[in-house]
Amino acid sequence: MPVKYVLKLYVTGLTPRSQDAVKSLKKILNEDYKGVYSLRVIDVVKHPNLAEDDKILATPTLIKILPPPVRRIIGDLSNKEKVLLGLDLVAVR
Amino acid sequence: MQNKTRKGAVEKLATGIRGFDEVLEGGVPKGRSTLITGASGTGKTVILNEFLYRGIIQFKENGVYVTFEEDKKDIIKNVKNFGWNYNALIAQKKLTFVDAGALKGVIFESGTNYDFSPLIERVKYALKKVKAKRLVMDSIDSLFSRFQNKDAIRQALYQIVAELKDLGVTALLTGEKVGEEKGLTRYGVEEFVADGAIELELIKGQQQFLRRMFVVKFRGIGFRSGIVEFEITDQGLVVYPKIPIERIVAKTDFKIRKAFGIKGLDEILGGGIPLGHMVLISGNTGTGKTMFGMHFLTQGMREGENAVFLALEEPVEQVKKTALVHGWDFNRSEKEGKIRFVSTSLIDIANDKLLYQIVSAVECINAKRVVVDSISTLMSATMNQEQVRQFLVQLVAYFKRKGVTCVMNYLSPVSFGAVRGQLLSSLMTNEIRLSSMTDGIIMLLFVERDQKIKKLLSVLKMRGSEHATEIFSFEIEKGGIKMGEKYKE
Repeated sequence: MPVKYVLKLYVTGLTPRSQDAVKSLKKILNEDYKGVYSLRVIDVVKHPNLAEDDKILATPTLIKILPPPVRRIIGDLSNKEKVLLGLDLVAVR
Repeated sequence: MQNKTRKGAVEKLATGIRGFDEVLEGGVPKGRSTLITGASGTGKTVILNEFLYRGIIQFKENGVYVTFEEDKKDIIKNVKNFGWNYNALIAQKKLTFVDAGALKGVIFESGTNYDFSPLIERVKYALKKVKAKRLVMDSIDSLFSRFQNKDAIRQALYQIVAELKDLGVTALLTGEKVGEEKGLTRYGVEEFVADGAIELELIKGQQQFLRRMFVVKFRGIGFRSGIVEFEITDQGLVVYPKIPIERIVAKTDFKIRKAFGIKGLDEILGGGIPLGHMVLISGNTGTGKTMFGMHFLTQGMREGENAVFLALEEPVEQVKKTALVHGWDFNRSEKEGKIRFVSTSLIDIANDKLLYQIVSAVECINAKRVVVDSISTLMSATMNQEQVRQFLVQLVAYFKRKGVTCVMNYLSPVSFGAVRGQLLSSLMTNEIRLSSMTDGIIMLLFVERDQKIKKLLSVLKMRGSEHATEIFSFEIEKGGIKMGEKYKE
């Protein structure tokens, strides 16, 4: 299946908060979008230049690049409804 | 201990902004953060830009611009008006931006479980990229207004300021002052981010806005207190620092006399005005005050002393024309660099700016004689009594330090002092108030005798010096003033 959803997640270092964010997000995506999403996790400590390009101010920040419109969520990613709402996506099921 | 906390504990960093460093007695605290606060439109961003620009151009100190508000492109475009090419500086790796303005798209905040470590990382990255010595941040309030988690912002700012301190980077941050609220900024950041604060304000004048700034606080660091005026010119900022009052170093000398070159008058004065003294010539309109001033400067130039004429009473061209009638070619003297004229708009006189103009003129040709024509014009213009007093105190202090001898004209509303004994009683309170600042007073009066109006002169006061106390008559003729006989009833 072709990739329909392109996402970037900015985190800071290997902190528990970062790891929680990655884990929560993957769980949500794997439920409804398995196989059709790509997620790139970027550590701002290692890649401050990318954070500059994407104008990231806070972590965690999740950016949905495709499909348009581009959306950003900052903060907690554990609540599925909030995450999908913030990304302007409707759950498939 | 006391000395340490009072002065010299913190090194200063010269900003390179004209006049600003003098007000700050050397510059802003080095390796520290200073808050620039004020309502919107007061010129905060201009100070920031010039701080960065001068740093790079004059001191080879590279800079980082952190913007939370204006777009990077707009900033680059705006400073082009001052002739500053940011694109070139960016290409040369002397300047870089942390572009953190608001984004167009929707940002969804899910709870408050986030922090601003990317901002910190980006700032660190930018500092390293250009090996920055200076950083500016504009404005802290717009960052606060965009996010819910204010504590996280405070924490990040605190960390950035600590990082800057560690790296020895000097920073200017802006905050917005809202109305007459307590505190310097909306979010009260001054308490933890800045070691010093400078407040800017915009005052409505009669025809234009006047810009002012004052240092609110500088922890343990010396600065010149009081409100100073500044302007935003096409080349950037100009701050007009107040002249420090140092009475101890007065270069006055009673033995050296500065003559008017008016036969009779110099004798009355015991040779002329003592070096470094300030003499008030008081008289009504038409008594010849300006003429005495012209004599004084002409005689100075004859003796090789350069002159400054502060023309407030009439336009410079008119002064020159009048002088030419009496045979004094001020145009030529001006071309030869012997005399400078200073004039200003009589509406919305900016005290400090005028002082700055005079000081610049005096410094430029190393003038030793100055004529102020007249003090009364300042009073009847927008300056109030207190402003005039402050203006004079500073001017006189400066003249004394430089060994400049000065004649100031004062338009006295009293015209006729007919009867003996009336001369003194007709002295106005203003003159008496000015008297404490002046070293001497020469009074000019009209008197009506034999169906004619005669002009009289009397030296009322000449500090620490002998002078004739009689009343003398004088005439204004072609070629100048001619002193007459002692006046008798």
